[in-house]
Amino acid sequence: MDISCGAHHNIRYSVTMLQFILKRIWHTGFVVIGISVISFFFIHLSGDPVMLMLPGDATDQEIEELRVQLGFNDPLHVQYLRFAAKAIKGDFGDSLYYNIPVFELITERLPASLELAFAAMLFALVFAVPIGILSAVKRGSFLDMSSMLGALVGLSMPHFWLGIMMMLLFSVHLGWLPTSGRGTMAHLIMPAISLGLSLMAMFARLTRSVMLEVLSLDYIRTARAKGLKEQVVIAKHALKNALIPLVTVAGMQFGFLIGGTVIIETVFAWPGLGRLVVQAIFSRDYPLVQGIVFIFSIIFVGMNLLVDILYVYLDPQITYSEEK
Amino acid sequence: MKRSFAIVLTVVMLFALFVSPGLARDTDELIVLQESEVVGLDLMRSSLQNTMSVCYNLHDTLFFPQEDASVKPALAEKWEKIDDLTWKITLRKGVKFHNGEPVNAEAVKFSFDRIFNPEIKCPHKGKLSAFKEVVVLDDLSFKIMTNDPFAPGLYILGIYFPIVPPKYIQEVGDKKFNTSPIGCGPYRLKKWMRGESVILERFEGYYGPKPYYKTVVFKTVPEPAARIAALITGEADVISGVPVHKRTEIEASGKAYLSSQMGVMPYLGLNTYKAPFDDVRVRQAVNYAINRELINKALFGDKAIICKGPISPRTFGSDPGLKPYPFDPAKAKALLAEAGYENGIEVRFAYPTYMSQIQEQAEAIAAGLADAGIKTKLEPFERAVMWQRYKAKKHQMYIYWWDDAPEPDRYMYSLFHSQSRDYYYKNPTVDVLLDLGRTILDRNERAKVYNKIDQVLYEDCPWAYLYVIPEVFGVSNKVFYEGNRDGFLNMRWAKPKN
Repeated sequence: MDISCGAHHNIRYSVTMLQFILKRIWHTGFVVIGISVISFFFIHLSGDPVMLMLPGDATDQEIEELRVQLGFNDPLHVQYLRFAAKAIKGDFGDSLYYNIPVFELITERLPASLELAFAAMLFALVFAVPIGILSAVKRGSFLDMSSMLGALVGLSMPHFWLGIMMMLLFSVHLGWLPTSGRGTMAHLIMPAISLGLSLMAMFARLTRSVMLEVLSLDYIRTARAKGLKEQVVIAKHALKNALIPLVTVAGMQFGFLIGGTVIIETVFAWPGLGRLVVQAIFSRDYPLVQGIVFIFSIIFVGMNLLVDILYVYLDPQITYSEEK
Repeated sequence: MKRSFAIVLTVVMLFALFVSPGLARDTDELIVLQESEVVGLDLMRSSLQNTMSVCYNLHDTLFFPQEDASVKPALAEKWEKIDDLTWKITLRKGVKFHNGEPVNAEAVKFSFDRIFNPEIKCPHKGKLSAFKEVVVLDDLSFKIMTNDPFAPGLYILGIYFPIVPPKYIQEVGDKKFNTSPIGCGPYRLKKWMRGESVILERFEGYYGPKPYYKTVVFKTVPEPAARIAALITGEADVISGVPVHKRTEIEASGKAYLSSQMGVMPYLGLNTYKAPFDDVRVRQAVNYAINRELINKALFGDKAIICKGPISPRTFGSDPGLKPYPFDPAKAKALLAEAGYENGIEVRFAYPTYMSQIQEQAEAIAAGLADAGIKTKLEPFERAVMWQRYKAKKHQMYIYWWDDAPEPDRYMYSLFHSQSRDYYYKNPTVDVLLDLGRTILDRNERAKVYNKIDQVLYEDCPWAYLYVIPEVFGVSNKVFYEGNRDGFLNMRWAKPKN
């Protein structure tokens, strides 16, 4: 790195950074609009909610009346424009079943989903990083082999199966944890673990391989040669660099974690957005599905944006200026 | 030292937090788990089973519907038929809504008119459209008129016509009423945490018998395994939606039992408008080619009720003289040959994937049909798609189902009257009989009409008749609760077992 022209470099750097962020936000807007169009047409082509809203013995006339009342007889593009015009103002309409504004339903549920996703992420990181480091340091040992085998198993296990198995063991047989629902910390444990386990496995493997790579670099040898304690070498010098890819991947995975809540929330009766969207899709509650997909896409795209920005701060070698 | 103490303390505290699920539960509280979420608490605005279940604890109707399709008094104290088109109904004296508003004839009229307010989008409007109007006579009595004589009238009112408080609704509006309702039922709303629970508390001013439990909590747990786990660990007292293959798990636990309620009646529909099912002999062949007894034994542990004709054997009007079609592949083959299909036939066989144990049923039925030379191509469809194809007349042979309801008019008219849906079958004789069954007010005469319908359809086979699978609730050994045939979880009837 060029230390002599640091000041000059920094100014240019922040300008390009700002440009970069603005450009990314601009792109993000397009992605979100694109997603809203695609999800709108897919859900509208997938089945008629009116037939599901009315009981089985409803007459054709009743069905037709309701369809007209809800505006489902208009051409799709007209319906989309109507939706978009309101959505821009933050109004996603009322849920067909709840008869409550979609926005209100989403804001009620979002905290529960975020809580679960953060808990799963925390669980994954807290266990994965030490396991990964230990495996790298004691490479080839029994500990390394068994934790990497464990990671492989963790990666390949389906969420919902793991969830039900844990429920049978910890709730039904041992009686330690409540089976489902939200409320105390105890309610959070099983959903967070079943959601976070495969992530933990992935992070552990990643930490291990990055640590192995870093530990073989010259500056680590230098640090050791200086006579530093091995713990200091690992914690201060190696881990710092190993964390960069981990943060990136963790950020990227956060979006997938939100996706994973769809299954876990259903298994553990967690009152979040994931479960709400499942019910909304099955009953073809168009406005609600639209609203939730919109929020999910914002979270997903937003996290990616955040990771890109964070990356620059963590790794000064990366700049976003086109000229070097 | 200090630090290690802090760590130990944290661990102990965390542990104490975690090991608390088995907390002794309040014996005055009943916890009920259902499979899907409650979407609103206004009974007039939803036709979803789980939502309606909660609503019936809050709202009362004029009558209690009975298993034999008759009614008993609820809000209505007495009633008389003035002529074929008019009932005069008198309400109980002194009944109040949860907010103290009186339940009077004005409230009945207000409630009736509200059903037909387009803003409400009442899904039960169609069933109540046989009624013309409510005329208030005095404070407690009113006349209710029908357009034509309507035999199931009182029963329909008993299920779909809750009485709601006019003043409160005018004050807070329809939206608010859906989230903070006031009813006149045995329980009042304490708190609704959307997505988590609906907490009801006993309404001490209720006119009827006082419910045993002071608090009833309805929660949503979509996963069947999780509901059963909660029942076995004692976290829940009553659960709905117990899949057939999970029932032994509850019985074997020693902690809970099964309580029967309404059944689901699957049927195998046939498109009689197109070959090969335009020939009655082919349709009869299908009926002879289903091994109902074997399916009952293998899939339902002999707990299902084998159907004879389209009217469930438990329902008013089912003809006791009919015998279920026996499994007779040779006869089926002979009928097919007679119809000109010596080499058998090949058909598409659609079924909705969201029904419990449907895959097994479809395969078992297909196996029997194959024995008789009817080859099938299985077509599983998701709920909305299945329904859309059904209405577009795209199915050739399909499984659908109806509730095993006590009153025959509602479902028979809807399924077999050509005014209602002539997607796959039409029969002028049946049309006439169904109109008659709806309008004959004498109960015995009416039963004969439905017997006749049952016979005609038994012979004409627009469906292959299958079986009624009794649905069950899982109930904790501490609680006594017998499910009603209407399938709604009405917790006023629950009490401790001893």
